Amino acid sequence: MAQIDLGVISVTEANKLIRQHGEAGESIDIVNPDARHHIGVGLTHPVTVRVRGSAGYFCAGLTDGPNFVVDNNVGWGLADNMLGGSVVVHGNAGAIAGVAIRGAEVVVHGNMGSRAGQVMKEGTLCCRGNANFMAGYMMYGGRIIILGDSGDKVGEDLTGGSVYVAGKVQSLGSDAEVTDLPTEEVDSIMEFLDRYEIPFKGTFQKIQNSGKGLRYSKIEPRVRNIPFYTFSGESDYWNQKVQEDIHVKAQIGRYRIRGYGAARPLPHLGDIAFRKDLSSAGADAGVLDRVNLATEIGGKNGAEALKLSMPLLIAPMSYGALSKSTKVALATASRLSGIAENTGEGGMSDEQRAEADQLVYQCLSGRLGWNIHDMQRANGLEIYISQGAKPGLGGQLMAKKVTKEIARIRGIPEGIDLRSPSRHPDVLGADDLVIKVEEFREATGYTIPVSVKLGAGRVRDDIKIAMKDGFDYVQLDGLQGSTGAAGNEVLEYVGIPTISAIQEALDALAEIDCTGELQIILMGGVKDGVDAAKAIALGADAVAVGTGAIIAGGCIACMQCHVGSCVVGIATQDPEHEKRYNTPVEARNMHRYFESIRWQMAAIADAHGYTDVHQLGRGDLVALTREVAEITGLPYEPGYRNTQPVAAE
Amino acid sequence: MCGIAGILFKGDHRNLTTGQALINMLDGCQHRGPDSTGFALYRENNDDELRLRFLVGHGAEAEQAVKNIKSKLNEYGAAVISEEPIGATYCFVVRYDGDVQKFSYAMENVAKLVSIGESLDIIKDIGGAHEVDDIYDVHSFNGTHGIGHVRLATESDVKPEAAHPFWATGFADVAIVHNGQITNYWKMRRRLEKRGFEFHTDNDSELVAVYLAEKLKQGASLSEALKGSIDDLDGTFSFLVSTKDEIGYAKDRLAAKPMVKFEDKDIIAIASEEVSLNKLFPGMALNTMEPPPGTYETWHR
Repeated sequence: MAQIDLGVISVTEANKLIRQHGEAGESIDIVNPDARHHIGVGLTHPVTVRVRGSAGYFCAGLTDGPNFVVDNNVGWGLADNMLGGSVVVHGNAGAIAGVAIRGAEVVVHGNMGSRAGQVMKEGTLCCRGNANFMAGYMMYGGRIIILGDSGDKVGEDLTGGSVYVAGKVQSLGSDAEVTDLPTEEVDSIMEFLDRYEIPFKGTFQKIQNSGKGLRYSKIEPRVRNIPFYTFSGESDYWNQKVQEDIHVKAQIGRYRIRGYGAARPLPHLGDIAFRKDLSSAGADAGVLDRVNLATEIGGKNGAEALKLSMPLLIAPMSYGALSKSTKVALATASRLSGIAENTGEGGMSDEQRAEADQLVYQCLSGRLGWNIHDMQRANGLEIYISQGAKPGLGGQLMAKKVTKEIARIRGIPEGIDLRSPSRHPDVLGADDLVIKVEEFREATGYTIPVSVKLGAGRVRDDIKIAMKDGFDYVQLDGLQGSTGAAGNEVLEYVGIPTISAIQEALDALAEIDCTGELQIILMGGVKDGVDAAKAIALGADAVAVGTGAIIAGGCIACMQCHVGSCVVGIATQDPEHEKRYNTPVEARNMHRYFESIRWQMAAIADAHGYTDVHQLGRGDLVALTREVAEITGLPYEPGYRNTQPVAAE
Repeated sequence: MCGIAGILFKGDHRNLTTGQALINMLDGCQHRGPDSTGFALYRENNDDELRLRFLVGHGAEAEQAVKNIKSKLNEYGAAVISEEPIGATYCFVVRYDGDVQKFSYAMENVAKLVSIGESLDIIKDIGGAHEVDDIYDVHSFNGTHGIGHVRLATESDVKPEAAHPFWATGFADVAIVHNGQITNYWKMRRRLEKRGFEFHTDNDSELVAVYLAEKLKQGASLSEALKGSIDDLDGTFSFLVSTKDEIGYAKDRLAAKPMVKFEDKDIIAIASEEVSLNKLFPGMALNTMEPPPGTYETWHR
C-alpha cells in the first residue's frame, strides 16, 4: 500500500503517482486530502484508492476500473464520467454526484446535492440519505437508488433509466412518472445493497420516463426544399423561404428544424478586399515553396501543439449527424493535407482515430460518447460551449439518425429525438469552467491542448473568460456556420456574423492587455483560401471549414440532413444511403479542396511579398461596405470592389 | 464569477485571527477568482463615529481626491477624528450625527467610496488574498466576523472598484459577497431607483446589498430580508450578507452556485467550496453540509 500526503505534494504530482501505482497494481492511501479537487482523476487501473478525509470536485472523475473509498465528504461532480469501478463516500456528496457515469457503481452514505446522476448512461448511483432536487436530471440510462427522500422534481427530463426512491417522493419532474416495480428489479437492488453492506428493510417507488416527450409527434415533411444557398432577394420577410417555412409549420404544428445555416445576406469576408492588386497572384506555380504556411496551435501552456501544415482545420461535426463513412473520409483528408480533424459531439470511432493523424476530441454537455480512453488518445480536447448556428442551444439529432449503433456509442436509448442539453452539468459559470479545464488537464497529464468552442453570441465576455480560464486556444464560430439540425429562426437570427465575432474577440483581448496571447481559430462561412487569408489578415490564427469540406466531399444540399435521409450518404445513418458514399474517392476530393485553400493562401501571401502567411495584417485590407467598415474598423474603400479575386490554380 | 467566504466567531476561542481565517479561506478558493480579492470587516468603533474608506489611487490623483473629500466632510459638519492612507485607499473616522443616506450619497459623488459604517470596513484590491493582505494588513483584524470574495472579472474591468465586497450604497454597515448572476437586475434596480436609491456600479451584487438594506431599513429582520430576496431576485446566486451584528446566506432555488457550511460551538464558516473550510482545519475531516436550494439562514454574534 502506497501512501500519498497531499499536505506535502500537489494534486497534480499526486495524480501522476497514483497512475504509476495503478500501473504497478498497487493500492493507494491518500492522507491530508483537505477537500482538494481532482483527486484520482484519469486513473484507469483496477486498484483501490482510499481518501482519508474529504475530497473536492471531480473526485474519481474520468476514470475506468478503480475502487475509491472516501472517508468523509466530496464536492461537486463525484465520479464524473466514470466507466467502470466503484466509489464509496462515507460523508455527503455535493451537486451532480455520479454525473455522466457509464457503468460505475457509486455509493454515498450521507446525502447528495442537487442534480445527482445528471446525464448518466449506465451503472448505479446509490444514496443512503436524501437526494436534493432534480435527481436523475436528463439521465439516459442506469439506475439511481435513493434510500431517503427524493428531493423535488426527481427524474426531471429523464430519457432512460430508473430512479428508485424508498423515502418520500417529494415531486416528480416533467416527463417522469411512478410505475410498477418488477420483483426482479427489487432483487437486483437488494443484491446491490447487500454487496455494499447497506442494511435496508423497506419498499421502493420506481420512477421512469412517461414516454410522452421522447419524440416529436410529427417530423418535417419531405418536400423539395429551397436550397439553403438560395437567398430570397433583399426581403427578410414574405419571401419564398418564409413561405416555405410557413408551409412546413402548417403541417407539423411546431418550429421547423432543418440543416445548414443562415440563408440571408450578412456582412461577411466577401465585403473585405485586399489593397494589393492580386490579379497576377499565383502566376508563378512555385508560391508554395516560397511561403511558409505551417502553423502550431495550442502550445502556449506547454501542451503538445497541433502541428498543421497550414492554418486550416476541419470544423467539428459529429458522427451521428454525419455517417461514419463521411467522418472517416474527413479524417483521411485531414491526414493527406497535414491538418487536424475534430470529432464533434458523439464520440470517437476507431476508424476515425486510425485515419486522422491529428484528432481533436470534443466534449459536449450530454457527454455523449465521452470517455477517458478516447481522451487519452486524442491530440486535443475541446469543451464545446456553443456553435455559431445555434449559440446557447444544445444539439438535435432526430430519431431516424439515432440508430442502434449511434445509441450504443452515445449511451442513450435508441430511436429518440435526441435533444442535447444546452449547458454542461458542471459549467455554470467561468469559475466552474476553470475547475473543469483543470480536470481535463489532470486526466491527460497536461500533455494535450484544451480548447473551447464558442458560438458567436457574447463574444467579448466569452473570449475574456476563455483567456482567464487558461484555454490553449479558441474555436470561434460565427452565424454563417452550419449545423445538422436546428430551429430555422435560430439558424437565421440568433448568432452574430463571423467578422463581427473575430472583431469582438480581438477587441476583448486588447481590453485586457492580452493581444496575441490567445490563438483564435475562426469559422462560420469560410469557403476558400481567399476567405482564409482575409480571416488571418484580420487577426485569426487559423480557420476551420465544415460546410466547404462536406460540399467538397459530395454534399448536394438536398436539405435532408435533419431527417437523416441524405441522398448521397453524408448526413445519414441509413445503411442503404451510406452505401452510396465512396469514402476513398470523397476523401481525395476533400483533400484537393483543402489543397486549393493552401494554394490560394500562399499565392496571396506571396503577392504581398510575404514569406509567411501570418505576415498578412489588417493594413492589407479594406472594407467594401460601410457596414463592414463600421464592424471591423477597416477603412471604407468601395473603389476596391473591382479588384479581381485570385484565380484558382 | 467568483468564490466567497464568511466567518463568525461565536466566542473568544479561536486559533486564527478573523482576518487570517478569511485570508486562508479565500486563498483556498483563489482558483475561482484570481483577479481581485476583497474583505468586509467589522471593527470596534465608538457609537457616534463613522468609518469611511475611499479609493483614491496614488500621487497627485490621491491628493486631489483627499482634498475634495475633506471639503465635503467639512460641508456636512463631519469632524475628522482620524485619517490614514493605505494602499490605494484612504480611511477616515469621523463624528457625524446627520442622515447617513444623504451623507453617503454626497460622499459617493465626491470620490469613490468603498464602504461606510459605524463598524464596516471594506478592503479590496487587485491581486490574491495574500497580496491584498501584504498591503492592507488584513491578518491583524480580529473582530467577531467578516466576509470575503475572490473575483474573476468577466463583464467588467479588473479594477479595485469593481472588486467585491459591495456595500449597500446609502446604508451603513451592510455588505455583500455574491457568486452568480441576477437576471432581473434592471427591473429590480429601476424599482429601487424610483424610490430614490442610488446605484454607483452596474454590478448585480450592489443591487443585492441595496435590496437587503432597504428591507432592513423598513424594519425587517435580516432573516426576513433574505427570505424576500429568494422570491424577488431571479437568476443564479449564492450570497453572504453581513451587518454590524449578523451574517447570513441565501441560495437560489436552482442551487446553481456552490456553497458549503461548517458550524461548531466556536464558529460558523461558509464558503463556495469545502477546500476553503479545510484551510481553517488542515488535515481534519469536517462535518460540513451544503445548504439546500432556496434556503437562507442567519447567525448573530
